[in-house]
Amino acid sequence: MNLPNLTSADFLPLLPAIILVVGACILLLSEVFLSAHSSRGYQAVLSTATSVIAGAVSLTLLTEPARAVFLGFGAMDPFSSFLTFTVCVSLALASLTAAGFLRKRGAERGEFYALMLFAGAGMSLLGLSNELITLFVNVEVLSIATYALTSYLRRGTRPSEAGFKYFILGAFSSAVLLYGSALLYGATGTTLLSDMSGPLRAAMANNNGALVYAGAVLVAAGFSFKVAAVPFHMWTPDVYEGAPTPVTALMSAGVKAAAFVALVRVFISVGSGIDAQLPFAIFSTLALLTMVAGNLLAIPQRNVKRMLAYSSIAHAGYLLLGVAALFVSAPGQEFKLLGPTALIGASPEDVARVDALRGILYYLLAYTFTAVGAFGVVSLLERREDEEKGTAWDLERFSGLAQRRPGWAFAMAAFMLSLAGIPPTIGFIGKLILFRAAVDAGLVGLTIIAVLSSAAGAYYYLRVVVYMYMRPVPEGAHTLERSWMTELALVVSTVAVVLLGILPGPLTEWIAQAGTLFTR
Amino acid sequence: MVPISYYLILAAALFCLGMFGVLIRRNALVVFMCVELMLNAANLTFLAFAKQNGHLTGHVSAFFVIAVAAAEASIGLAIVIAVFRSRGTVSIEEIRTMKH
Repeated sequence: MNLPNLTSADFLPLLPAIILVVGACILLLSEVFLSAHSSRGYQAVLSTATSVIAGAVSLTLLTEPARAVFLGFGAMDPFSSFLTFTVCVSLALASLTAAGFLRKRGAERGEFYALMLFAGAGMSLLGLSNELITLFVNVEVLSIATYALTSYLRRGTRPSEAGFKYFILGAFSSAVLLYGSALLYGATGTTLLSDMSGPLRAAMANNNGALVYAGAVLVAAGFSFKVAAVPFHMWTPDVYEGAPTPVTALMSAGVKAAAFVALVRVFISVGSGIDAQLPFAIFSTLALLTMVAGNLLAIPQRNVKRMLAYSSIAHAGYLLLGVAALFVSAPGQEFKLLGPTALIGASPEDVARVDALRGILYYLLAYTFTAVGAFGVVSLLERREDEEKGTAWDLERFSGLAQRRPGWAFAMAAFMLSLAGIPPTIGFIGKLILFRAAVDAGLVGLTIIAVLSSAAGAYYYLRVVVYMYMRPVPEGAHTLERSWMTELALVVSTVAVVLLGILPGPLTEWIAQAGTLFTR
Repeated sequence: MVPISYYLILAAALFCLGMFGVLIRRNALVVFMCVELMLNAANLTFLAFAKQNGHLTGHVSAFFVIAVAAAEASIGLAIVIAVFRSRGTVSIEEIRTMKH
């Protein structure tokens, strides 16, 4: 029997995921030894510590050279290590947020954190996947954990409803993704993404184009559900509203980041085999629809959690603009791969492409800090009692927050400015890098629309700031419970949002390493 | 021998059936079955192509998909039970409290 010869170098990129899974197993086992009334405060600490360690390990992997691992089934590159880092940031912040959230509801359990860490391991592995079935399995690992997290709270009707909707549409999109993968496998005879470009060209030459196109379109549709691109966004507001707030934070940051990285990896390979016009047409259309619709639908929302859900759709649109910029090429020109090689002597198109890749990564990290922080403030303000009435996340909740809790109000103001893309915040730098890459790639029209729609978005973000700073405290407002863990998450994300907005230098230099993608 | 294209057409038909079922049917359990139908249509496609190409990748893929589908079924049924407990119904039309 032929066993593959795997070395420790193959397992190195799995290290962060292994750490997350070990942490999750410890958390699950800890429940065996605890009675219903034991103190569980340390579980959040353990979960956060695990994520921080995994994140630190992924940072050390960032300098590893890009290469194939596990016989080509995985690709270890700075791109995937950076994704793992982003995922670990969102996990750590979401765990801290969950500590306060779950204590308030008396729902602290080890399995909540364990599921979060399992989902995180799935995200990290999804970034590494360079083969269609590995990709599908990891999409499912992260999705199944997230379905369970969404319906984790059993009191009330909303969580189960959100979980149900998420499950049906998530399973549906996974099935579409899988069927598309099956068609691509049929056209090329391989499921390895790095081996795909040659067979794809052969398939196009042999009049098998219909199979390839159908496969690529179905895979794109499957991913569009996962990243909540318009017109595949219908589930997003309901699921984001109904899910426990820390889970919403994780979904909007981690799940989306992982799905974007996988999408880029698949379509860089597919696009190198077929004309890059197809992915370009798909992603520029999706970007246009998503940016405009996300921002317009968010404007009338008075429910802040729902507004943040639509805002996350809009941000997916900006990211799709970056993805579209990856596939800009003159008609007939062969789409070149971005190798792990240095960019000296590269054509301007290649430089623009690498810039777009960096822009996507920077934006994902910027959005992670900002969105998880914003959901953290939302989770501090909500109360279970108001959930059934639907007023738990009303804009009125924010009235006069600056007088009652100046720290929270300042943090929320920083997050809102960052989401709107106003300096000096990380969101502004993220938009700057991403939009500049899009302009360099020649997408001037789309970028103008992106800037205009984000200007429209400033209206609903700043409305929250206006409520916090310029409205009086409403009569009979309930007391605001504090939670040091959630507040720690707010401090960390506020510092990151503001500091990296003022001094983006270190991070951009560091991302310059991460902009390379393993392709062959 | 049955030509490969017959399997592919059957798989495509099952996939479309499942897809329309998810979009049209109103009972949560039936919707759930339709999702499984879609996954199995993809399986059949993998197997048909594996037979055509004469290598094992497609066969192995089918096993992975079966395992994943089982995991998905367990979590899905758990969620359907949670919905039934909180509402006493599994009709999709009544699972709609959040306003748009």
